[in-house]
Amino acid sequence: MPIRLAAAFGAVALLAAVLAGPVRAHEGHDHGAAPPPVSKTIAPRGEALSDAFELVAIPRDGTLTLFLDRFRSNEPVPGATIEVETPDGPKVATATADGGYALPAPWLSKPGRHELVATVTAGDAVDVLTLAVTVPDPKVSAAATAKPAPAKAALARVSKVAHGVTDRLSAKDPTLVAAVAVAFLLGVLVTALARGRRAAPVLAVVAIGITLVLGTAAFAHGDEDHGAPVQGAALIEPRAPGSSDLAQRLPDGSVFVPKPTQRLLVLRTTMTEQGSFHRSVELPGRIIPDPNASGVVQSSVGGRLSPPPSGLFPRLGTKVRKGDVLATVTPPVQAIDVSDMRQRQGELDQQIAIVERRVERFKRLAISGAVARTQLDDAQAELDGLHDRRAALDKIRQQPETLVSPVDGVVAQATAVAGQMAAPGAMVFQIVDPNRLWVEALSFDALTAAQDATARLADGRTLRLAYQGTGLADRNQAIPVQFAVQGDATGLRVGQFMTVLAGTDTEQSGLALPRAAVVRAGNGQDVVYEHTTAERFEARPVRVEPLDGGRVLVAEGIGPGKRVVTQGAELLDQVR
Amino acid sequence: MILTRLTLVAGLLAATTAYAHETSGQHGGRVTDAGKFHVELVAKGDTVDVFVSDEGQKPVPAAGFKGTAILVVDGKPARVSLEPADGNRLTGKAAMALGASPKGAVQLTGPDGATASGKFN
Repeated sequence: MPIRLAAAFGAVALLAAVLAGPVRAHEGHDHGAAPPPVSKTIAPRGEALSDAFELVAIPRDGTLTLFLDRFRSNEPVPGATIEVETPDGPKVATATADGGYALPAPWLSKPGRHELVATVTAGDAVDVLTLAVTVPDPKVSAAATAKPAPAKAALARVSKVAHGVTDRLSAKDPTLVAAVAVAFLLGVLVTALARGRRAAPVLAVVAIGITLVLGTAAFAHGDEDHGAPVQGAALIEPRAPGSSDLAQRLPDGSVFVPKPTQRLLVLRTTMTEQGSFHRSVELPGRIIPDPNASGVVQSSVGGRLSPPPSGLFPRLGTKVRKGDVLATVTPPVQAIDVSDMRQRQGELDQQIAIVERRVERFKRLAISGAVARTQLDDAQAELDGLHDRRAALDKIRQQPETLVSPVDGVVAQATAVAGQMAAPGAMVFQIVDPNRLWVEALSFDALTAAQDATARLADGRTLRLAYQGTGLADRNQAIPVQFAVQGDATGLRVGQFMTVLAGTDTEQSGLALPRAAVVRAGNGQDVVYEHTTAERFEARPVRVEPLDGGRVLVAEGIGPGKRVVTQGAELLDQVR
Repeated sequence: MILTRLTLVAGLLAATTAYAHETSGQHGGRVTDAGKFHVELVAKGDTVDVFVSDEGQKPVPAAGFKGTAILVVDGKPARVSLEPADGNRLTGKAAMALGASPKGAVQLTGPDGATASGKFN
């Protein structure tokens, strides 16, 4: 039917207009059409937005509960003063334990549309917010469902009565049982009376009528009770609609999350801003020690390792300073060398004995002048030389080589075991300064210098990197690029793999969002959640491109000036 | 049928002419929606005048209305009670001088007890 179609279209357009925010043209528009409740199971609520705040009001059981959050970040605002205009003048809402604000509001129990004005003072920010709460009239909503046609209405009413009775039965309502019993007894009584008196047939008819009506109502669902086994769930009284708000996915695909649940999930948002960024490339990288702040300790001669004078080899992780003795290497003396040395020793000892005697003799003769003074000096010098050679021969047998630390740092690798034979050139210790680490990445195209980069670790941590240099020699069809890790480098280890995001010269524009804002939807698409209204989030499919370690660039799918969930998006995605 | 067409047109108009909000009114003030009314706020010195009209910009007699204006002046909210005056005008006096166009809100309570509020940015 075209008319109905037009009406439906009109309603949709109007709904879109109402939902689109403060869109109000001034002539020829419809006032007072409140947006329909998002779902039957959600309590009526009103919300207001301003540049600074977002306020949600929920009237329930004579109390108005208010939730105040920051507009941009969705952070709850504690310690604010919210003054609400009531029929009895302004009233201040008190803070509750769950981070909201409560105000006794018996005047809100009246069905209809209530427009409230709330004055919010948080710190030095003052805002006046208007919000409308529509309290539904239970009778009106019931009548509305029974409107379409008389026959339909009657049917609906019957089904409603039957449904009500089922509900009450399932709740084991004693009044229903009592009513049936009383009606039956009444019927019997009245029949008896009518028989006795014969004067009140009308009364009898009425009584029978009541009995029949109530009886049929009671029997209409009898087979249900007998047919189906009673289940535990059926005995639980169904919740009254609107008594609890649950996060849910609405038929239109958006997610409704009530404010208390938003607090639990710690949902935070950010405002998207268009920006221009350098395109970045992802490179595989790994941590290497800073070549100027690390070193290896190697033995220059083959020999037996022994601990330093302190008696202990430095263990892994021991802090060492430049020049510290880490170990000693005693070169072994071969058997042939030993005999060689013995021979030389004997020769030296022999010569020393001869020269000593000569020096003695010359000393005595030099006094009398029989021997020249120079001869004595020569002999003395020869003796000293022989003594030196003899001492060196002794020393060489016991002097080991000391292995010293070339830099300040921490022992990163240690292979020393007492008594072990070290080969010449073998690395005994590696010393690394844990605060000075570099990253070596392999790049397939030549990176331009001076573009700082970031690195993303497997656990999600990011590091700032400063460009150091690019090699020209090819390695695995790529060239190595080196960066220095900036800032805190604790927890990193040499050889750890990471993804390096290095900027290139090409610029691209888009919206930078934290990596956690983008979630993978069930169909494999990347989506971000836009905070459309205070308690509604809508998934927006986006195209993302790498930007840096912590952020991604949203190239398409969402525009600037939107509030996008940056924290808790994964949890939001789980709402069904 | 005419009604449905009107709704359609109104919806489309409302959807397209976004932010056709806060136009200037007949009395030189700012006009905004408050429930089913249009409200014009004129703040001059410490006097606050509010003019009530219906959606067709026809004046609505102010008799029977009550109102409150909350206006932010120098970062502090000022609450002004409004009493009906002549014609469609409600008026009230603030404790201090108000700026040229203070932001805030006006709440009206109609003769039937229904409340309507409008926001001025």
